[in-house]
Amino acid sequence: MIAAPRKLPAPWVLRTFVVLILLLVWEIAGRHGSQLLFSPLSKVLTSGLQIFAEAEVLEALKTTAWILVVGFVLSVAIGLVLGLTVSMSRFTYQTFLPVLLLLYAIPQITVLPLFVLYFGSGPASKVAFGVSHGMFPIAVSVIAGVQGIKPLLVTSAISMGASRWQIFRRITLPYLTPSLFTGMRLASTATLLGVLLAELYVSAGGIGHLTRRFGENFQPDKLYALIAALSLMAILINETMRMLERRYSRWL
Amino acid sequence: MEGEALIKVDDVRHAFLSKTGEEEVLALDGINIDIARGEMVSLIGPSGCGKSTLLNVVGGMIAASQGHVLIGGTPVKGPRPKDVAYIFQESALLPWATILDNIKVSLEFQGVPRASRDKIARISLTAVGLDAFGDSYPHQLSGGMKQRAALARALSLRTDILLMDEPFAALDEQTRMIFSEDLSRLLANEHKTIVLVTHSLAEAVFLSDRIFVFTSRPGRIKAVLNVDEPHPRIPTFMTSSKFNDLRNRLYELLRDEVLAAIGKDRQGLA
Ligand SMILES: Nc1ncnc2c1ncn2[C@@H]1O[C@H](COP(=O)(O)OP(=O)(O)O)[C@@H](O)[C@H]1O
Ligand SMILES: [Mg+2]
Repeated sequence: MIAAPRKLPAPWVLRTFVVLILLLVWEIAGRHGSQLLFSPLSKVLTSGLQIFAEAEVLEALKTTAWILVVGFVLSVAIGLVLGLTVSMSRFTYQTFLPVLLLLYAIPQITVLPLFVLYFGSGPASKVAFGVSHGMFPIAVSVIAGVQGIKPLLVTSAISMGASRWQIFRRITLPYLTPSLFTGMRLASTATLLGVLLAELYVSAGGIGHLTRRFGENFQPDKLYALIAALSLMAILINETMRMLERRYSRWL
Repeated sequence: MEGEALIKVDDVRHAFLSKTGEEEVLALDGINIDIARGEMVSLIGPSGCGKSTLLNVVGGMIAASQGHVLIGGTPVKGPRPKDVAYIFQESALLPWATILDNIKVSLEFQGVPRASRDKIARISLTAVGLDAFGDSYPHQLSGGMKQRAALARALSLRTDILLMDEPFAALDEQTRMIFSEDLSRLLANEHKTIVLVTHSLAEAVFLSDRIFVFTSRPGRIKAVLNVDEPHPRIPTFMTSSKFNDLRNRLYELLRDEVLAAIGKDRQGLA
């Protein structure tokens, strides 16, 4: 006998339920655990959120935000140029792709001291470290995008008299736009990671630095509020990128 | 042949080279074809005999290892977008652009001034009966409509010559027949010179003035069949005894070559 298919609730119902349970567990654990290490949700929401009225915290948010923006824009620019250069021909592809992947595979945190050495401990090294995280996903996505172009489209364009520039402008560029947005989505969170890591270990400013201080001073409610703010930032960036990605890949 | 041929293929031989520069695959050998203005010619032969290669040599996309092609008396040394338009086997339409934009981009490639692109594109869409689909994307069209769009694009380029490489290959039998009839009617008004590569005996007979039968690789011309029937061809031609006789003769000529081609493949496997 085959059981009649049972009607399942919509996925979002269960999803919301799971999140609520987790928040509840957090609250209960927070009330019973050490107040030095852990803070219940209610306390994070009341006292923790007050940190966003503190000038120091706002300053840190601003610092991190603009470093993130600069790092992201540079990541896109450098990643795009890198990806297009590698994709220029079979020769450049075979020569440079392995090198690129090799660099990408290095756990970047291990070379953070080098960044400090070259860029100092100010914003420059934070931007640079963010870029070192963000440019690779862009480059790799762009390369994958260009590889996917149907050769027939190019052949056909050549038969109609298209110049190299026209082929780039009318075929390569529109074709790789969806991949570029995928890369940008990955790069946005990667850049954020790079910037925060640099702030955490190197600089004296920004959110990353504050998280360390709140941790070291046993202020879990503040720390949690900051983490929540960071998560919100990451989610917002990610969702924005995903919307753009969908909008530009409708033809796929 | 009276007068000067629009396309003159003069003793063309082509071998594809291996990476080390040695001749690897001899695709074409000793090809001589004169095609008059307004003539419709088919190339038919076993798979892999070099038909596409010949079409690409004529279109200037491949430089032949030997011999040359003249179009309107001047040697072909590269793509000739003002003289030659292609229709490929599968859709070569840009998937992210509407049908209308596809045609306009092609006109841009060809060097047509921006101001006149829209008008030319719309005229050619109307000619193939797709005027209502200018704003559709390729993936929204059926296979037959996509090829119709490709035809519209080729017509919009206003070239004297149309090269078609198995343009019906991806279509089902019924769509193919209807498309062939449309093509015959359309092209009778356009006075284009056409070279069509096809696998279908019926299509070759239905559409062509002359059919060139190729041997298995290396492709040589084995026979030329004349189809003496005015354009546009109408569906009743397809059921006439003349049509059947030609089709049967074509089959006789091809059969041995296809067997030979298969035999070569078998040897290759053994
Ligand atoms: N770029 C290429 N490099 C090497 N060999 C090729 C290339 N293109 C085609 N060939 C070979 O040349 C022969 C003729 O190919 P083609 O002209 O495409 O045949 P057809 O169109 O008649 O099926 C085939 O054996 C094919 O494998
Ligand atoms: Mg072919």
